[in-house]
Amino acid sequence: MYSELTRPRSSTPMPAALRALPAPAPLAAPHASRLWLALELPQFPLQVALRGDPSPRACVMAAGDGTRQQVLFANTPAIRLGIRPGLPLGAVHALGDVRMLPRDLLAEQRALEQLCLWAYQFSPLLSPVAGTGLVLEIQGSLKLFKGLDTLLQQMRRGLRDLGYRGYLAVAPNPAAATALARARQQGVVTINEALPSALNELPIDVLALSPAKAQDLYNIGVRTLGECTRLPREGLGRRFAPQFLRELDQLYGRQPDLRLYFELPKSFNSRLELPWEIKHTPALQVAMMRLLHELTAYLRVHAATTRQLHWRLHQADGTSKRQVLGLGTPSREFARLSLLTRERFHREILHAPVRAIELTVESIEPEPAPHEPDLFTRPATALPEDWPQFVARLRARLGPRALHRLASVSEHRPEHATHWREPLASPRATADCKSKLAKGLIRPLWLTRRPIPLRAPEGKPEWGGALTLSAERERIQSGWWAKESVTRDYFVATDARGQRWWIYKDLGGERGWYLHGIFE
Amino acid sequence: MSLDELVRRAQVWRADQAPLARGLTTGFPALDALLPAQGWPYPALIEVLTDCEGIGALSLWLPALAELSRAQWLIWVAPPHLPYVPALQRHGLDPARLLIVDALPAEEALPQRPRVRESIEANLWAFEQALRCVDCGASLTWCEALDSRALRRLQLACEAGVTLGVIFRPARFAAIASPAVLRLLLSPAVHATGLDIQIFKCRGSLRAQTCHLDLSAYS
Repeated sequence: MYSELTRPRSSTPMPAALRALPAPAPLAAPHASRLWLALELPQFPLQVALRGDPSPRACVMAAGDGTRQQVLFANTPAIRLGIRPGLPLGAVHALGDVRMLPRDLLAEQRALEQLCLWAYQFSPLLSPVAGTGLVLEIQGSLKLFKGLDTLLQQMRRGLRDLGYRGYLAVAPNPAAATALARARQQGVVTINEALPSALNELPIDVLALSPAKAQDLYNIGVRTLGECTRLPREGLGRRFAPQFLRELDQLYGRQPDLRLYFELPKSFNSRLELPWEIKHTPALQVAMMRLLHELTAYLRVHAATTRQLHWRLHQADGTSKRQVLGLGTPSREFARLSLLTRERFHREILHAPVRAIELTVESIEPEPAPHEPDLFTRPATALPEDWPQFVARLRARLGPRALHRLASVSEHRPEHATHWREPLASPRATADCKSKLAKGLIRPLWLTRRPIPLRAPEGKPEWGGALTLSAERERIQSGWWAKESVTRDYFVATDARGQRWWIYKDLGGERGWYLHGIFE
Repeated sequence: MSLDELVRRAQVWRADQAPLARGLTTGFPALDALLPAQGWPYPALIEVLTDCEGIGALSLWLPALAELSRAQWLIWVAPPHLPYVPALQRHGLDPARLLIVDALPAEEALPQRPRVRESIEANLWAFEQALRCVDCGASLTWCEALDSRALRRLQLACEAGVTLGVIFRPARFAAIASPAVLRLLLSPAVHATGLDIQIFKCRGSLRAQTCHLDLSAYS
């Protein structure tokens, strides 16, 4: 059919270029128009609580109140001790040293939001599923990620970095994908026709039914989804709600399944509650790395970079400590953010144990254009960073008050002629280095931080021995407007060893001799 | 065969005949003539040992630093006093290219105030990072406590970052061996104004050499 269309109807000969076109290949067999990926996180509340500090201790999360508390979730070391969901709490403590974790619904909700944010980089059509996971529509993303296998691999790696353990499954509709992931089968089903064979063997607890309904189905002898579908439809609809029939139809792709899509938040704010109080900063690193992974995913999704990270450590006594980390050049690479964060908190001393950490990014800017590569090669063993990043790294490790640049001001009083400023990213010619010394004035290279008073027996100043003053003196009289008026006579003094100092006699207040500079 | 035969056949290498890469000119012709590379070895770690202040130990470096500050950055780590910028400008140094790093800025005026151990280590770390940085042309530091292992690391960092590293230390460390490429001992001239420089270790020469420089005309 296509080759007929390319043959011209008129009698004029075809131009040579068009005639050389080969016939297009026949279309491949049609796949499902939509492909859904489900991410299921078993024991999600427990994973959220243990994300910040994974340790081999046995932990459980309990529900219920008073003396009838029962175990809801238990981690692997606890299961090895013999603890199962449904065990009363008294029995738990008898089995060994087990840590009890409280359930925090707000933290779980926030964690699910952050997870959606992270997953947004794989597909913009995603929807959270009832507090245990999420589903993504990935048909449109397959070409960008060069295939399903690469996409799944990247997702698995990203999940590991975030600190979660989850199961992934792919199916033509979201309900089936969720069911496959819940059954821990991690299967990939791409066409509707293959769905029944994949789903029929799954147990009915993948449907997440209420306990009463599940018990009813169990009582009539239905264990798997396949048996469910073999029951007569009208009877099933009458015995259970019609919604149950609709769910089954959606599972097998017979009815459409509409989901509400997740919307991106406008700013980034993520909080991680630590499972226990942490007293030393190196132990916070794991939790901080998790938050940084979430931040980089957020920035990647927005194709943006940031200049500042606002860290907040919430401490046990209710106060919180705020640290602002400047990045020098805007960046969103995980390696750079984690290096700066590690350097900044390396020397931090915690006055109270930390219960939660929070990361906020207030303003983001679009990604700058990539730099052209240097014409000249740099040495291979050099650090791969430029000057502003180097300064930011030093500042992160030593603190903001450790780095300065100097600016000269036109001022007669020597101690005010040099100002200490914040270092610049580039040495552009600023107005604060233009003032020049008049010719003939003698000035030392060093000034002491404060003028040092000298002993002066019989009016002759001494500093490590007798000093010989130069014949010329220089009078500096200035500063009457600032209430720090100085009237000084400066001399160049040489001592017996040959060292040269810059001293002055104060003619204003106490009339003493002071050492002010060193001719180095 | 005799030693002369071996030398004639060029099978014995003599230290003072080895050709060296040309170094950074010091700005003082008398000193240039004395140094094997006709200038400061670059990139290298140089130790300046002196007990006295006020004799010109920093002025010795200003011509080379002024030359480097035209295209690269200078980093001074933990200077003992405040640099006076108009005087530095007069010598040709560009203050916009100077970065002062000090982990514990001393509050008192006395230069002999002992510094806290952590800040000493932080300053050493900053010095090593400055040496490794490619954009940094030269880095100066005033510190005392360095063992030969730390000095060797700094020497390697100089070569990695193509930086001139200068360490100012008290003269009592002259007796202790060090892997620095060039070691100078400065003392005030006895009978004239100026500076006596004794080069007691340099690459490519075996004997100690002294020279006298008059810096009063320079400042």
